[in-house]
Amino acid sequence: MIELIFEQIINGIVAGSVYALVAAGMTMIFGVLRAINFAHGEYYMLGTFAAWYVMAKLGVSYPVSIVLGILITMALAYVIGRLVMQHLVTAPFQSGVLATLGLSLVLQNAIILAFGGTYKIFPGGWLNPVFLGDIALAWQRIIIVLVTIGAFLALDLVVRRTRLGKQIRAVSQNVEACAVNGIDVERVVLATFVLGSGLAALSGVLTGPINVSIYGGMGEAVTMKTFAVIVMGGMGNVRGTLLAGWLLGIAESFVAGFIGLQYRDAVGFVILIAMLMVRPHGLFSVKSRF
Amino acid sequence: MALANTQSASAPGAAVPAGRGRAYALSGVAMLLALAAPRLVDDYYLHAIITSLMFLPAAHGLNLMVGYTGMLTLAQGAFFGIGSYVSALLAMHFGTPFWINFLAAGVVTGLIALPLGVPALRLRTYSFVMCTLGFVVIGEAVAKNWISLTRGDMGLSGIPTPDLGFGVKVTGIVGFYYLYLFLAVVMTALFYAIIASPAGRNMIAIRDNETQAEALGIDTWWYKLIVFTLSAAFAGFGGSMFAHYLTTISPLTFQMYYSTTILIIVLGGGAGSIRGVVVGSLLFVAVSEALRIAPELRMVIYGLVLLLLVFWFPKGLTPLVDRVLGIAGGR
Repeated sequence: MIELIFEQIINGIVAGSVYALVAAGMTMIFGVLRAINFAHGEYYMLGTFAAWYVMAKLGVSYPVSIVLGILITMALAYVIGRLVMQHLVTAPFQSGVLATLGLSLVLQNAIILAFGGTYKIFPGGWLNPVFLGDIALAWQRIIIVLVTIGAFLALDLVVRRTRLGKQIRAVSQNVEACAVNGIDVERVVLATFVLGSGLAALSGVLTGPINVSIYGGMGEAVTMKTFAVIVMGGMGNVRGTLLAGWLLGIAESFVAGFIGLQYRDAVGFVILIAMLMVRPHGLFSVKSRF
Repeated sequence: MALANTQSASAPGAAVPAGRGRAYALSGVAMLLALAAPRLVDDYYLHAIITSLMFLPAAHGLNLMVGYTGMLTLAQGAFFGIGSYVSALLAMHFGTPFWINFLAAGVVTGLIALPLGVPALRLRTYSFVMCTLGFVVIGEAVAKNWISLTRGDMGLSGIPTPDLGFGVKVTGIVGFYYLYLFLAVVMTALFYAIIASPAGRNMIAIRDNETQAEALGIDTWWYKLIVFTLSAAFAGFGGSMFAHYLTTISPLTFQMYYSTTILIIVLGGGAGSIRGVVVGSLLFVAVSEALRIAPELRMVIYGLVLLLLVFWFPKGLTPLVDRVLGIAGGR
């Protein structure tokens, strides 16, 4: 029994790391843009697809495909950022919801049209098991957790120590004051968006091997889970996001293991609604953000 | 106010704006075309029009939320799905006539929405949108997992076609067309009655400035709850039409596709305008169905339309259509 619980916690942390990486970008974009990005899971999907494409069609190795997958996604995000996201700075909240919902439909279905609606096998990854006591765990899962922790440490450094990080925090606090002080708000929004999309792509490329099969609609479920994570972590709070992601992952794997697999995908939304009702400012912050 | 309008319009010699006259003529032509449609187009196009008629009540419901009270919601798909299940289950288990299923679908869906609205309406802007999306996901989970009632992923098949009582059963496509046209007209009239009432004006006040509406003594919280419930009931009525026409439903009815389609109809047609929603349902459902566009391509087009609307046509495509038809200025 103890072992089963331990196993669920480990599975939960792996799944939660995936959510946290995606959510980190979404929460930062919310911070600078005050817009919920309904398309954020699509960059996770694009990362996976780009890596799959360069591996299956161009024959590059998995480590190279990780880099290429992220770069291709960030390049796309740059274009989308210039065309769409930058224009949302002064727009009312409805515009943000509708524009990103539209982007999500376009990206998802364009990929299905381009590559077909069938499931594709992701060819790479390090799937040899390691044993932690009696629990067998693929290397890939350990790598996901380690990379996630590393990415969050790096992100924390960027947000706290660099000029860009300072600007991101400033824009999150007050857009008008930034504009008055000569910060190029649109440039900061673009940089945040490209960075966040790159993190989502990293998450997608790393999870490709354990998802086994990939398809165009895979980003939607991730987007929805990410909502629960960013609300739990506190919207705009990068540090809280990692913990919130792990909590959601663990909650899901307990529900899947002890109640039933089919209820897993509803966990996030039950948590989301409960959080919005009781603690809309997140688990870890005192200040209300709404 | 209403009295003054009627007087000026009927006063001898008062100039009726040219656009207004043309608008009346066009709506007369539209009515005749609607009645004669089964003689004018073949069964496939009739099917396309029926599909758009099924989406119309849910779109009216969303319009009441977005266009008249100023609340963006994605939950219409969930209520559409609930209505379709209620209607189908009643017909399959109790063999009740269509009218009862149809009414029950709207009433039960409204009653389910009422308690959901109480906590949800405490939220605003993004939080409310995310919460309403949650209702869709949870609705899908219930439809998938309450297997004793909904048969899970297998869905319900063999839903009887509308039984109007007195031994009249609708089976052929022409019968469906007239029944659904009638229901769509009734729903539209009901919608008009709501927004033309004093309550409707209070809703518009809430949309334009909630704080001021509250200050003027409008119980905004109550109004929002009632609007949320009514909009769900409208979606439930539409779900009933959907279930009996397709005769098979499944948890797929809770896919984002339906919420998105309803959203496109309202925003594309023009939120806050009845005519806009009617035009929107024909434009985005009937036309894309008639052109046999692949579902994925249709979603790409919907996505691009959403982007276009946000940045270039915030009032929907109706003003554009009006200009083309030369009835600008009509309401």
